[in-house]
Amino acid sequence: MNPAAVLALAASAAALPAGEGGAASLCGLCHPDVRVQYETSIHRSEEISCVSCHGGDPSAGDVAGAHGRGFRGRVRRAGIPDLCASCHADAGIMRPYNLPTDQLALYRTSAHGRLLARGDDRAAVCTDCHGAHDIRSARDPSSRVHSLNVPQTCARCHSDASLRAAFGHLGDPYADFAASVHGEALLRRGNLSAPDCSRCHGAHGAAPPGMGDVDKVCGQCHQTARYWFRTGPHATAMAREGMSECASCHGHHATAAAPVSLLETACSGCHAAGTAPLELASRMKTLYDGAGEEIETARALVDKAARVPLYVEDYRARLQEADTSLIESLPTMHSLDLSRVEHLTARARSIGREVQAEVNGKLGDRAWRRLGLAAFWFYLLVTVAILARRRRRWAGGGGR
Amino acid sequence: MSGADPAGGSRGPRPIAWIEQRLNLTEIFSFLTNFGVFPAELDTRKPLREAIHEALDRPIPSYARWPRVLGILSLMLLAVLAVTGVMLAFYYQPTPSEAYESSTILVRDVTFGWFVHQVHGWASHALLFVLLLRLGRFFFQTLYRPPRELIWMVGLLAFLAATHADLTGRLLGWSGQGYWTTVRAVEILYDLPVLGGLFAFVVGGPGIDSLVLTRFYLMHILVLPAALTGLLYLGSAGVRRVGLSGAPEGGAGRAAYAVYLHDLMILALLTVGALVTLATLLPAPFDQPADPLVTPRGARPPWYLLASYGFMEAFPGWFPRWARGLLVEAALVCALLLPFLDRPGKEGRRVRTARILAAAAIAAWLTFTWYGWRLEAGP
Repeated sequence: MNPAAVLALAASAAALPAGEGGAASLCGLCHPDVRVQYETSIHRSEEISCVSCHGGDPSAGDVAGAHGRGFRGRVRRAGIPDLCASCHADAGIMRPYNLPTDQLALYRTSAHGRLLARGDDRAAVCTDCHGAHDIRSARDPSSRVHSLNVPQTCARCHSDASLRAAFGHLGDPYADFAASVHGEALLRRGNLSAPDCSRCHGAHGAAPPGMGDVDKVCGQCHQTARYWFRTGPHATAMAREGMSECASCHGHHATAAAPVSLLETACSGCHAAGTAPLELASRMKTLYDGAGEEIETARALVDKAARVPLYVEDYRARLQEADTSLIESLPTMHSLDLSRVEHLTARARSIGREVQAEVNGKLGDRAWRRLGLAAFWFYLLVTVAILARRRRRWAGGGGR
Repeated sequence: MSGADPAGGSRGPRPIAWIEQRLNLTEIFSFLTNFGVFPAELDTRKPLREAIHEALDRPIPSYARWPRVLGILSLMLLAVLAVTGVMLAFYYQPTPSEAYESSTILVRDVTFGWFVHQVHGWASHALLFVLLLRLGRFFFQTLYRPPRELIWMVGLLAFLAATHADLTGRLLGWSGQGYWTTVRAVEILYDLPVLGGLFAFVVGGPGIDSLVLTRFYLMHILVLPAALTGLLYLGSAGVRRVGLSGAPEGGAGRAAYAVYLHDLMILALLTVGALVTLATLLPAPFDQPADPLVTPRGARPPWYLLASYGFMEAFPGWFPRWARGLLVEAALVCALLLPFLDRPGKEGRRVRTARILAAAAIAAWLTFTWYGWRLEAGP
């Protein structure tokens, strides 16, 4: 390399932002596309430079020099988890960032990690989910591992037809999830309290929850449903039969919002028609439907009264109370204890009926008002007629 | 009759005679005359009975003859507003924390509270309508021309006072619509040079807070009703001095006045009937409490400010707002000084020209009102 070229390189290196590993890094001169990616990454802002992963000499002006001293080059897939862990499993390095250091340990227990340990390069490694040069914070909405993007990131492999065929996976988990009540909430409404894939499967330790663990996984959010399920006869019976606790009725990836009508369809999958369990299901459904109908009737009446207009804010508040009781009563069905369901639905139903009675009373008052108005006008017109007659008499000169 | 011994000389029943020895009842009764209720002058030096008898012998003035009732109707409506307003004030508490709750209690829980509240509201609408109709009559019949300049000016000022009474009343309930209607109206007022500054001085700044509520309350129950009463009195005084219609005077005597009295009673009954019907069948809807951070849909300035609002907003953005406000004020001043601007020429300008001008002015007012209405989305 001639001296002029070296000078030019040095000048352009000086123009680059300093701080990549302390000395000015010249890697970007030959790897501009990588550098562009790197500039957006969390490692760039934390000043973790190229050499931290790739080794070599960032200040060398020629390829031989740069790729010389301690240069590791392209990292093997199988070596990536250990390479990342060289910092991320080091509690001393991670402490200022308050980041966990158990990712490698978890990864090794995951389906991905075990596959990689068996020498299968198709297994996902750190960079498949996090990216390599453009790793961003998981809190950054443009990160691949931000909650809103996790389903897409997992889907890159798990919804890939050839990979699914190779591993014998049936169904497209992403399509199922996107259509589910969870996917609807997360992907369409951006509700970050809705679960992405990792909330059920884990992230670094990703694996399908085992039989007997499903209720624990779902129960992280659906605590009351899990509580009542475990008090009921299904918990032991399903464990004995090796059935998936929640998924047997609700499905897993494609789990829909659970309507009360599920009592009509889900139970008959196991229980024969005319048996006591189906009878119980239909009685529970009757209780829920009855309470729901009372609330809806009351709500329609309240709306009607509001249009009148009558003051209905109190009634709306009480209907909300009824809604709460009904919502509270729904998970109790998992206990299969009719008295519990009866207790809460009865409260919802009675509030609905009370509101109906009171609003009907007020609407009745309104009918009285109209009747009163008619009577008022009758007397008013009689008075006007008398006055008009007296007026005519005065006008005609009749006097009193 | 007037004599040295009024108690003995008076033909009235003894209690009245007893009072008349101590109070000049005729003078007190002539108060009604001052407002045009009793349409004849009374000689206040004479005992009441005699003064009335004497007055009945004079013909009924033409302004008091059916169907010229808009003046007396506005007085009746003001009376209804005063009575219902006092009843509302028994329950209403003028603080932001209590205003909405106390209004709600008044309307929801107090026996017939809803009725009094609705009658008050509808009477306010009716009063504005009647005052506007009366102005329209003056305008179309060129009743602002000499010597009736003051009647026109007083009528216009009465309408303005009534709109302010209505505006201040809208805030008192502290409901979402009322609050935001006031905010929108105040925005327009602040764009007016001088008048806006004056308004800001009275109200205390552009924010609508607890002090503004107190001041609006005071305006609503004291200052504006007093101003309105005074203006109606002045209007009546002007009408009694110069008359208002070209119609001939009515007949004289007890019969003529009895007919007039019956007309008034029938009018009062029908007015009350109309208010009761509107209050019962078309009560104003309940609203959420005011939230200074949430503008409800369709929060417009009140209807009488929509034309000003539409006019102010009809200009392109580069036209300064104070200049728009100045134009609105110019229109107001022109309206007020109309009697001096529209002087008939020597040969006498024809009434037809004035009517065409009147129609054009009203058409412009309606157009800007419509435009102002359209500026806000929602119901």
